[in-house]
Amino acid sequence: MAASMLCRRTAATYRTLNGISSSNAVLSLNSRCGFLLQTASYNPKPLKLNLGESYIPDKNSEKTPEWQKTARYDRKLFGRYGSASGIDPASLWPSKEQLDRIIAEEREWNPPLEVMLKNIEAREREETEKRLAKEKIIADNMAKMPKMVEDWRRQKREAKQKQKEEKTRRTWLLAQAKERFGFAVDPRSPKFLEMVAEIEKEEKMRKKLIKRRMKEEKMAAPITPPAASS
Amino acid sequence: MSFTKTPGGKALDVLHNLPRLSLVNLRPEPGAKKSEKRRGRGQHGGNRSGRGHKGERQRGTRPRLGFEGGQTPFYLVVPKYGFNEGHSRRPQYHPLSLKRLQYLIDLGRVDPTQPIDLTQLVNARGVTVQPLKKDYGVQLVDEGADIFAAKINIEVQRASEGAIAAIERNGGIITTSFYDPLSLEILIKPVPFFMRGQPIPKRMLPGEDMVPYYTNAENRGYLADPEKIQQARQVLAQKYGYILPDISKDELYHMLAMRKDVRQIFFGLSPGWVVNMAEKKILKPTDEKLLKYYSS
Repeated sequence: MAASMLCRRTAATYRTLNGISSSNAVLSLNSRCGFLLQTASYNPKPLKLNLGESYIPDKNSEKTPEWQKTARYDRKLFGRYGSASGIDPASLWPSKEQLDRIIAEEREWNPPLEVMLKNIEAREREETEKRLAKEKIIADNMAKMPKMVEDWRRQKREAKQKQKEEKTRRTWLLAQAKERFGFAVDPRSPKFLEMVAEIEKEEKMRKKLIKRRMKEEKMAAPITPPAASS
Repeated sequence: MSFTKTPGGKALDVLHNLPRLSLVNLRPEPGAKKSEKRRGRGQHGGNRSGRGHKGERQRGTRPRLGFEGGQTPFYLVVPKYGFNEGHSRRPQYHPLSLKRLQYLIDLGRVDPTQPIDLTQLVNARGVTVQPLKKDYGVQLVDEGADIFAAKINIEVQRASEGAIAAIERNGGIITTSFYDPLSLEILIKPVPFFMRGQPIPKRMLPGEDMVPYYTNAENRGYLADPEKIQQARQVLAQKYGYILPDISKDELYHMLAMRKDVRQIFFGLSPGWVVNMAEKKILKPTDEKLLKYYSS
C-alpha cells in the first residue's frame, strides 16, 4: 500500500512537472476547464507496514496470533485487499443475533426524537408551572406589602406616643407628690404608691360619674324625638 | 550618463531572467521561523538546564489543577461553588473563525464549490478535532465577519449568530449538526475507517440536553423544520440589514441545497454501506432486516 501511495504521489508530481515544462498542455487544460481551481487534496499518511505482497494469516496454524483470527481482523483484511483476501463480504455486516442485540441496545439507550421532544416539553412545562406558582406567591405578598408597612409604621407611632404619655404622667405624678408632701418623694416608696392608688381611684370614680351622666342623657333623649316628630 | 529607454526596464529585465517561482525556490521569510532552543548544550551542558533541582518541577510531572498533594482539595472541602461542575465531561468545540475559513478558501485548501463539512476542514488542516478529548466538533465564530466573502454550504457543530449572518449574506447555507463521538471519529478520518472494512454506522441523535439547540431554527439546526429555517433566515437578514440573496436561481443551487440526512455521516454515502478502498468499490447490504435497521 505504501509503495502504491508513493507511486501515486510521484506520478502526480511528474504530471505537474510535465505541465510546467510544456506550456501548451497547461494552456489547453485551462482552456478546456475554463478556470482551474487548485485545491489541496487529502494526503493520507502512508501506512507503516510494508505491504508489498498481501499477508493473509493462516487460521489453522498455531503460530498465527489469536487476534488475527477474529472477525474484526477479517474485516480489516477485506478493507486492505478487497475480495483478494478471500473474506466473504456478507461477514462484514453484523449477524442476525448481533443485529438483534444492537437493536435491543439502541432501543434501551437511544430513545427516538419524538420521545425526547415529549420529555423536554413535559420538563419545561413542569418548570414553568413551578416558576409561575412561585411568581404568584411573590406577587401576592408584594400586594400585601404596602398595608403591612403602614401597619408597622402605625404600631411604631402608637408605641412612641404611649411611651411619651407614660413619661408625662409620671412627671405629673411626681409633681403632684411634691405638691402634696412638700418634698421630692422616691417613686418606689409606699407613700408614693399609696398616693398613686388614691389618684387612680379618684379617676375611676370620675369616669363612672361621666358614664352615668351620659346614660341618663341617652335615656332622656329617645323620648323627645317622637314628641318632636308628632 | 546613460538612460534606459523604458522606465523600470532594467528591473523588468532582471525579472525576466530570474528563475520562475516554484515550490523548489520558495522558502519562509527571513525571521519567520525561530529555531528551537536546544537544552543541555554548551557551558552548562551537564547541569539542570534551568529546570531547578529534582522532583515534579524538573521532570514536568506536575499534578492536575486543584490537586493538593493528597489532602482533600478545596473544591471538595467547600463544595459551594459549582462553576466547574462536570468540567471534565463538558463537550468542547474548537473555534473556527470566518477569517480563518476565508484564508483556507483563498489558499485553495478548502473547495467552496463543494459542500464543506468537518472532513473537508480537517483535510485542509484547518481545524484539529480530538474526539477522545471530549471534542464534539467545531464552532464557527464571527471574527472576520466583515471580510468574509465566500458563498459556501457549510456544516458545523455550533455557530454564532454573527457567523450565520455573514454566511447567509453572501448567499451561502449553514447547518449545525450533531455527531456522536464514534461518528465524529469516522467523519474526521474517513480513510482509516474505510480500511477497517466495517459498514458505515448510523449517526446517533443528540442527547436530550442538546436536542433543543439542534431543533432550533435560529441556530440552523439540522433537526429544525426547513420552513422555519427559511423564516429565521429572513428575520436574521432584517436584523442585520442585508437583502437575502435568492438561492434557487443560483448556478450552484444543487450544491447549496445539499443536506445530509439525520442519520448520514458522509455526503453521498448511506449508513450500512461498506467502502472498499483497495478495489474502489461500494458494497451495499441486501438483507431486509439490515436495511430496515440502517434506514431507521
